[in-house]
Amino acid sequence: MARSQAAPPDDPALKERFERQVLPLLPNLYSAALRMTRNPADAEDLVQETYLRAYRGFSGFEEGTNLRAWMYRILTNTFINSYRKKQREPVTVQEDDLDEWYLYDKLGENGVEPSAEAEVIRSMPDEDVQRALEALPEGFRLAVLLADVEGFSYKEIAEILGIPIGTVMSRLHRGRRALEKALWERVRERGLVSD
Amino acid sequence: MCPIDCRQVLTQIELYLDGELDVSLHAEVHEHLGTCGNCADRSEFQRRLKDMLRAKCGCDEVPADLLQRVHAMLHETPPSFT
Repeated sequence: MARSQAAPPDDPALKERFERQVLPLLPNLYSAALRMTRNPADAEDLVQETYLRAYRGFSGFEEGTNLRAWMYRILTNTFINSYRKKQREPVTVQEDDLDEWYLYDKLGENGVEPSAEAEVIRSMPDEDVQRALEALPEGFRLAVLLADVEGFSYKEIAEILGIPIGTVMSRLHRGRRALEKALWERVRERGLVSD
Repeated sequence: MCPIDCRQVLTQIELYLDGELDVSLHAEVHEHLGTCGNCADRSEFQRRLKDMLRAKCGCDEVPADLLQRVHAMLHETPPSFT
């Protein structure tokens, strides 16, 4: 590996801090990248590109501010600018006719007791849930991913996506309803409830 | 002041579970859920759905070659290159 060039005096400290603080985020960033790109090869490229951009900009990162949100902002921007163009958006879901408690009510209508409803969802294969999330239109998908999978607050999501908090709430609300509809379809396909 | 009813609580569950309600409204919703089985069931289902999503969509195994690629990149790139 090429290490022949002498590094500037402050490089070792910066590199050490980057490795210590940013590398541990890689597994979560990779999962997020998979949900964004929907394929492992692009997800790997996206994560590598994100780390390269982050590393190059790391000297400008203000220590003590929100490093996770900073990294997800780079990830999201890189995805939107570089990878989204290659992909076709899935058919937009008709979410307007979904009721507020779509999945809960559907399971209830099919004879699942409230105490057992969560168990039905838990019994779904991981791949089913991942495909359902990945099939959401991009705006919804990113909001649900950042809130429910990554645990960011509305304010953080607004900053990461560069959109107003009201838009975050709207996308999250509609995205979750659309996801519930997709999950319900998977539940039926798998025969996890009896019609 | 009247306590909030089921309809009002159910419209706030999403923000409640996201930790986005202000302290007083959060406490009101929390109190209602402690006494209303129907609202508590719905809230609990949504909470588990969130947990399930995190567990199933956020724990993919990282390919070994990705770790190698990122490490190699760190050793080849000057950090303050802008």
